[in-house]
Amino acid sequence: MLNKCPVVRLEGVDKVYRRGAEEIHALKNINLTFSAGDYVSIIGPSGSGKTTLLNIIGCLDKASRGKVEVGGLDTTSLREKELVRIRREKIGFVFQQFYLLPGLTVRENIALPLTFSKRPVDEQRMEEILKLVGLQGRAGHKPNQLSGGEMQRTAIARAIVNNPCVILADEPTGNLDVNSRERIYELLHDLNGKGLTIVLVTHDLNAAERTQTTFAMTDGMLHPVDDVADYFCRMKAV
Amino acid sequence: MNPYVVLAWKNIRRFRTRSALTIFAVACSVGVLFSILSFHLGFEKNLEKEIEKTGLDFMVVSKGCSFEVASLVLYGAVLPKYLDDGLLVKVREPEGVEFATPILVGQAPNLKSGRVDVVYGMDMADIATAKPEWVIEGTAPKHFNEVLMGYLLAEQYKLKVGDEVNYFQEGSNFRVTGVLKRLNSQEDSAMFMPIHALQKILGKPGAMTSIGVKARHFMMIESIRDDLTLKIPGVQIITMGQVRENISGVVASSRALTLTIAIVVAMVSVIGVVNSMLISVFASKREIGVMRAIGASRQDIFLWTLYESVVILGLGGITGILLGIAGSGLAESMVRKIIPYVPMGDTIHSEPRLALSIFLSSLLIGVLSGLYPAWKSSRVRPIEVINC
Repeated sequence: MLNKCPVVRLEGVDKVYRRGAEEIHALKNINLTFSAGDYVSIIGPSGSGKTTLLNIIGCLDKASRGKVEVGGLDTTSLREKELVRIRREKIGFVFQQFYLLPGLTVRENIALPLTFSKRPVDEQRMEEILKLVGLQGRAGHKPNQLSGGEMQRTAIARAIVNNPCVILADEPTGNLDVNSRERIYELLHDLNGKGLTIVLVTHDLNAAERTQTTFAMTDGMLHPVDDVADYFCRMKAV
Repeated sequence: MNPYVVLAWKNIRRFRTRSALTIFAVACSVGVLFSILSFHLGFEKNLEKEIEKTGLDFMVVSKGCSFEVASLVLYGAVLPKYLDDGLLVKVREPEGVEFATPILVGQAPNLKSGRVDVVYGMDMADIATAKPEWVIEGTAPKHFNEVLMGYLLAEQYKLKVGDEVNYFQEGSNFRVTGVLKRLNSQEDSAMFMPIHALQKILGKPGAMTSIGVKARHFMMIESIRDDLTLKIPGVQIITMGQVRENISGVVASSRALTLTIAIVVAMVSVIGVVNSMLISVFASKREIGVMRAIGASRQDIFLWTLYESVVILGLGGITGILLGIAGSGLAESMVRKIIPYVPMGDTIHSEPRLALSIFLSSLLIGVLSGLYPAWKSSRVRPIEVINC
């Protein structure tokens, strides 16, 4: 159902912020490749650079150095207009705080990316998506009438409506109870099973353990983690 | 429907109080502007009608202020100078004069009500030609103690044909021979009697306030006027066009003032809209950031904000026009109290064309006042407002 898209690839990516005369190295020489169908988690302490990495992959921010490819396109030298097109067509965002538009219904929130793509809503596809995320009966509800889990499932539906090649999820279960978390993990797993690449930033051992690959971010540097449970144990001790 | 309009409408509904207050502010200024313009439109039309109803092409009066003459024509002002009735023959001489009729205007105190009414002394034989639109219930007065009442005056004193009315002094009663059908002019509030009777009552034998002249053809007006100016020194000849210009001149200054006030009010409401839109942009910063993240371009966000401004101004415009129409009666009664001369009839003309142009103008103002907030919203950077 979903596109088989090219990988996300970063080569020698640095990100430097300047605060007055001080330079803050948020990312240091990041090299990674995510293939189609990968399910990757990125873990690490707060302030280690996880969000910065997601911003750069998601074309919301630019690398100070290095090369970034998304869906086979080198985004490093692209202009804002082209970056918008990549965000619209190749990337789906899921945020910890859902960020649904409060005035719109579930259906309207899901269809929002289509509005920006100037594409009509395919009712059949909309029904498929609503069924996939388990919100068939809630399509006409406003966000304030939904539970946290339902809001996050709406956000996930919004992220996949344009058939992206990668989902960037920043702590999607951070605001949810255990049952809702479980449902979101299952949903992400199902989507990955359909060939969608998912990059998940999380502080949750459960979530990280369900992904195929886990990377840890420490002081702007990325390194693979073989034993996720052990990593979390050491983090707790620290 | 355009998706940006839908999004804008949803955002307007989301901040209901803010939106309602902004729409109300716009509606008030649009309503005021609409009423003022409707009034001036109606004023000019009614003035034109009222001047037409005099049935005259020009007036011959003693030399003096042209505004006094305008007052005389339109609401029967009493001038301090009189003409001698010997002039009437001279005025009738030039070729092209259809008729020339003497008019004496005076004040008639009604002792019972304590009011002073305007009384016209006229040559009743000229009424059929001078006042072709007059419809009299009863007959025109012929004798000394007979009067013809204007519609409103008769209504006010509850007078019918055959009744008697007391004017000028105790025991001085006049029989009502006729009542005029409504004319929607100042004549509705006046009384008419034979000129020789009024001259006697006022103690001004042979005196006239003016001579009303009608030409056989409007092309002859100028030549008759030039002829009379040469033949009769010491008089002033004022055409109805000049009367109209004089009145319009007085009203134009009040129009300039009221329009300036309306424009200032409109500008204040525009500033209010800009302010409200900026608050909306600030309050929706996070949503804007999310929309940018999920694929909205700067242009999309710009249009969304601009449409919101246009929808607010559009709604304010429609509401203001409806308020203007609904409140036209109140506005008219207020205007009548403020402005010294207002023609009779419905002075506020709520024309559809005016309503449409005001509505379109409010949409245009919506675009202009939305430009800066729209530009501001399109500059929101997603990473500054969301924790991606």
